[in-house]
Amino acid sequence: MLRKLNLFLVIAALCGMMWSCYPAGPDYAEDLDVVFTSFDEEYDFKSKSTYALPDKIVTDVEIDNGDTTYVFMKDAFAQPILQAIERNMTANGWTKITPTPVNRPDIVVTPAALSSTTYFYSYWYDWWYGYGGWYGGYWGWYYPPYYTVSSYTTGSLIITMADPKVESPIRRSPATWVAVANGLYVGTYDVNRINTAIDQAFAQSPYLNTK
Amino acid sequence: MKKLIILAFALFIMAPVSWAQTQTAVTYSMGFGTGDLGDFVEKPSFRGIAIDYRKMVQPNIGVGFTLGWNVFYEEKSYATYTVDNSSLSGKQYRYSNQFPLLLAGNYYLKPGESLNPYVGLGVGTMYTLRNTDMNLYTLEQDAWHFSVTPEIGLQYSIDDSTGLLVGLKYVNGFKAGDFDAGQNYLSLNVGLVFHK
Repeated sequence: MLRKLNLFLVIAALCGMMWSCYPAGPDYAEDLDVVFTSFDEEYDFKSKSTYALPDKIVTDVEIDNGDTTYVFMKDAFAQPILQAIERNMTANGWTKITPTPVNRPDIVVTPAALSSTTYFYSYWYDWWYGYGGWYGGYWGWYYPPYYTVSSYTTGSLIITMADPKVESPIRRSPATWVAVANGLYVGTYDVNRINTAIDQAFAQSPYLNTK
Repeated sequence: MKKLIILAFALFIMAPVSWAQTQTAVTYSMGFGTGDLGDFVEKPSFRGIAIDYRKMVQPNIGVGFTLGWNVFYEEKSYATYTVDNSSLSGKQYRYSNQFPLLLAGNYYLKPGESLNPYVGLGVGTMYTLRNTDMNLYTLEQDAWHFSVTPEIGLQYSIDDSTGLLVGLKYVNGFKAGDFDAGQNYLSLNVGLVFHK
């Protein structure tokens, strides 16, 4: 009997150890930040040199009775993003110009920022009775801590490059470069995370270098 | 291979009652990935458990089963992964769970002596559950592999009913399911063995 007990104790201890030691994954919200880039392989970036960049960043598009209105990011948040894009473009040999009908840029860079919230809720109202219910000195049912609703919000910064001189049947230019930086929103504005993401987007796109 | 499984199973079923002795080893299992598994998670695994049950059909032959669980985990540093014209940068959290489920037989070189080396072979299946986490997403891949697992080890008897065990297995899961290559690892098992 004792032997059997020993065996079960050893198995139980090892199983418990396995369960409690299961690797936990990311520790910080920054650990979830990702940067995606994609480019048109046919497009010759090397032969281009000028670009235009708006001075505002779109965060939403409202369509009301066919009228389209853009919602812009507050300047305090938008300026550091625009500056980071500009800094990287300059470092890659590009010259910023103000577009006019006669002076069209080779490339138009359009940043946009979006946030998206995902909600979870549980159908289970987790109360239990009986087994394991030794609580406060007597058997019975009790309320466990329950989290029936939770959510997370992610933010995405999307930077698109398009060549206005490239014609298409729908009178729109296809994107030659797309960068998407995505991260978990934590309630504080951290310009470093955004700067790092923009720098990374350019770092992993060496073909943008026109020098 | 099928013949081997049938043979092992037949030995297990037909084990004579007169040799009703059994032994159960419960071991802490460390894993060292090789091949594709070693490339996916370079770090060794220090989270593992194995249970080996053997029924003694001869004083020097035991047949039974092996159950195991090894968790391989690695937090990759920030890196860029490029496929064709697209690149994705971020931190990856890689998990690979291996669950060998084998029919197994051991041959003991010095039965009855306090130091008893053995060789063994397990044949059966191994389930692999691999997760690659990046951002808030996970890529999940799994497979039931055919597995052949050779083993060498040493038992040391403390008394009639308990002993210590050190074993080295090469868990070999052949290419299957979502994987283009076999999933293999060396497992070093240290633990207790209970005789009955």
